[in-house]
Amino acid sequence: MSRSGPGHMEGPPVSEGGAPAGAIYDRGYRHYQGVREGRSRMIKALVQAGVRRTLGLRRSWKAKVAPWGLLLIALAPVVAFVGIRVAAGDAVDQLIGYAQYLRIVSLVLLLFAATAAPELLCPDRQSNVLALYFTRPLSRPDYLLSKAAALLLVMALIAVVPMAVLLAGNALTADSAMSYLGDHLGDLPRILLAGGVLTVYYSVISLAIASLTERRSIAVAVQLGVFLASGTVAGIVFFAARFAGRRWVSLLALQQLPDRFVDWVFGEPVQPGSMAAEAGFTGPVYLVAMGVVGALAFGLLAWRISRLRA
Amino acid sequence: MAVVEVQDLSKRYGSVQALRSVDVAVERGCTGLVGSNGAGKSTLLKLLLGLIVPDRGRATVLGHDVASDPLGVRSGVGYLPEGPCLPGDVSAADFVAFMGQLGGLPPRAARERASEVCYQVGLDEERYRALGGLSTGMLQRVKLAVALVHDPRLLLLDEPTDGMDPQGREDMLDLIDRARTELGVDVLVSTHLLGDVERICDRVVMVHAGRVLVQGPIAAVAGTADGGFAVQLGDNGDAEIDCLALAGLQVRHAGDELHVQGGAGTADRIRDVAADRGWALRRLSPRAPSLEETFLRLQAEVSGST
Repeated sequence: MSRSGPGHMEGPPVSEGGAPAGAIYDRGYRHYQGVREGRSRMIKALVQAGVRRTLGLRRSWKAKVAPWGLLLIALAPVVAFVGIRVAAGDAVDQLIGYAQYLRIVSLVLLLFAATAAPELLCPDRQSNVLALYFTRPLSRPDYLLSKAAALLLVMALIAVVPMAVLLAGNALTADSAMSYLGDHLGDLPRILLAGGVLTVYYSVISLAIASLTERRSIAVAVQLGVFLASGTVAGIVFFAARFAGRRWVSLLALQQLPDRFVDWVFGEPVQPGSMAAEAGFTGPVYLVAMGVVGALAFGLLAWRISRLRA
Repeated sequence: MAVVEVQDLSKRYGSVQALRSVDVAVERGCTGLVGSNGAGKSTLLKLLLGLIVPDRGRATVLGHDVASDPLGVRSGVGYLPEGPCLPGDVSAADFVAFMGQLGGLPPRAARERASEVCYQVGLDEERYRALGGLSTGMLQRVKLAVALVHDPRLLLLDEPTDGMDPQGREDMLDLIDRARTELGVDVLVSTHLLGDVERICDRVVMVHAGRVLVQGPIAAVAGTADGGFAVQLGDNGDAEIDCLALAGLQVRHAGDELHVQGGAGTADRIRDVAADRGWALRRLSPRAPSLEETFLRLQAEVSGST
């Protein structure tokens, strides 16, 4: 079929010498004869799109400010510490421990998840694009899995990469890299365990909260509000009230749970006089508490996704 | 073999009965699903895609049972939904390619298909602009490209000309017609515009208040209404209409002529009225009944009986 109408070439353009310089052929509608990859392709496509969206790639500079700013905040201190170690050599001992640095990372993860999760879920509902997604052979569990995987991937980068750089920096600036790594061999699994737990914890809670609204700003505000309010309320109740089971109240401080777990993983002492010190729980209790909160959040998220209208 | 078969399908939203024991068979070719707003057209399409669950009945699309194999249905269907459903901050080229991947195409093939399909639906430079900046007509074209990009066997189009200007509407109908004739894709198009159906469809399914009024080839369905005559009599005014009505004829204005319904003998009675009154009978020609007349008559019959 030939294409006529404004803006379409009727024949091949001709170069100055008179010979055809090229031609545009309208082959009409054609059937697709290639391979079809099925479910795995759909999930990959959604994960890739999610990662791009989370990082603001292929979007305006405004969409890049929050994710890349937070990435910078997560990475800049560790680069500075390693730089100082390189410049000062042995004169400077290890500037910051892994547990202390993970507390910085934990705050960055909270802020990143609070902004990225709504970016992943809210626009799909706001623009009603789900009416197109769910008319492809895409199930709701696959949609949920893809969105969670996209966020987990980027969050895992933030959680693990700065710590890996710190470990590598410490090793390379030590008298002997091999002996440092030998002495600190146990740090790598600790970094991966703590980083992994923090990543999953913040991601699931953020996605659950984002699934409740189609307004991104509301989702961000609610998440930050929940974390801030839970810590404040738990602190007030814990120190003001005197009842038998008040130690359990400390587990309601959502932001405290990952920090205490990290302290336990790296063997850091609890600050005397703090809520955690008085509550007297050990790391596994905080891990179980995070598991319970995460499971509740995941249940809420799965329920919301199953009820999404296409 | 029918591409869509629906048996005894019912769906209720709260107190509203959207579909009542509907039986539909959609044959190969282009079929129009016609009805007023709220007749149950969109509900039927969503049931066919497995997006909502019926209260009763069953449906098969392209041989797949919608209840037990909704993903199988969707892999062979391209859907153009009614209303806004496109993200504003992505380009048409990127979004259509992405939707191609959601249809199972590898990334490179999806991008090539997207480029091809965008071109075919008339998106040239616009394909590189953010969707939020495109006109309604262009957005409808993008939605058609999305429906086509994974090369479906059946297109389900929900009000594809909605909100388009007359030229855009013509273009869209051309594109749908081309998809059918060049690709051999079967089409079920839902609309309340009977002119669109007469323009591109071979068959029609008329629905009203959740019921199927009639279905079949357009000529056969239109033929269920009485034929009649196009008449230009005197001034075509109220006096002429009253006299024809007094003669027992059903008459109404239609543009610059009168449409008089009736079969054999009607022409003689019109001629007699003109002769008795001394009015000039400038036109008296038989005319085939339109889909609109059939639809209005059937709708009135159903409304009158309930």
